[in-house]
Amino acid sequence: MSFEEFQNCARLYVIGALEPEELQDFEAARKQYGPAAEDFINQCYGLHEAFALSLKPAKASNAIKDKLMSMVRERGQGQSGPRSA
Amino acid sequence: MTSAVDREPGAPSDVDLMLGIQSGDADALSQLYDRYSGIMKALILRIIHNETEADDLLQEVFMEIWNQAKNFSAEKGKALGWMVTLTRRRAIDALRKKQAYARAEERLQAEPERQPLAWVENATEKDIEAGDTRVLMAKVINSLPEAQQQVIELAFFQGMSQREIAFHTNVPLGTVKTRLELGLKKIYEGLKELRDEL
Repeated sequence: MSFEEFQNCARLYVIGALEPEELQDFEAARKQYGPAAEDFINQCYGLHEAFALSLKPAKASNAIKDKLMSMVRERGQGQSGPRSA
Repeated sequence: MTSAVDREPGAPSDVDLMLGIQSGDADALSQLYDRYSGIMKALILRIIHNETEADDLLQEVFMEIWNQAKNFSAEKGKALGWMVTLTRRRAIDALRKKQAYARAEERLQAEPERQPLAWVENATEKDIEAGDTRVLMAKVINSLPEAQQQVIELAFFQGMSQREIAFHTNVPLGTVKTRLELGLKKIYEGLKELRDEL
């Protein structure tokens, strides 16, 4: 697989659109191209951000936020921060 | 660019907020919610098409951000990208778990004209000159041929595989792949240009 073909596959990979039979070749090329491949894949994750930023923000409910913060603060009283794995 | 949305001068960056959350600062989560809940909800709504479910899922997503913040590393990527990846995954999972897939598909079929256009909120030259990130990204996406927009919509916002898209659109698998590759490449290049400018 050429690096250009790898780049095409990487853009499909990050949005989960690579078919199972394409994954094996993609992973082989990923190993072959090493750090350059990893850098490119990381850059491709910016596509997620791009799609989200293209949407007009929706009105988020204050009640949801109040409930969320109440849950977080309740949990926070029993532990010092976000849950450990 | 330290934050993908406009923020007040002196306001903490996204990374600062993520670091705050990692150390258990609930106020940091509150600020992150104020900054990004609108974008996250829009993304969830785009996937599950249901206001009540979107609100519930938005709360779950921010709870997950609180719980999983330790997995975020600024060296590996931006906070918004990390949150969007998490949100999209949860929304697509919810779509499938609740077996709402068929209903959403019916809605998509009922509104075939609205979907690509919903990406673009009438970007004017004035908006573009103002450098609004959302408008610029929408413009890049809108510049794609409709067929490419459609396959990207189905892959990204509906979580469909290439085969599912081919079945859904009655288009050969090879054509779906080509359209996806070309469309994503153009968006990727648009994003890169935008980042270089900022």
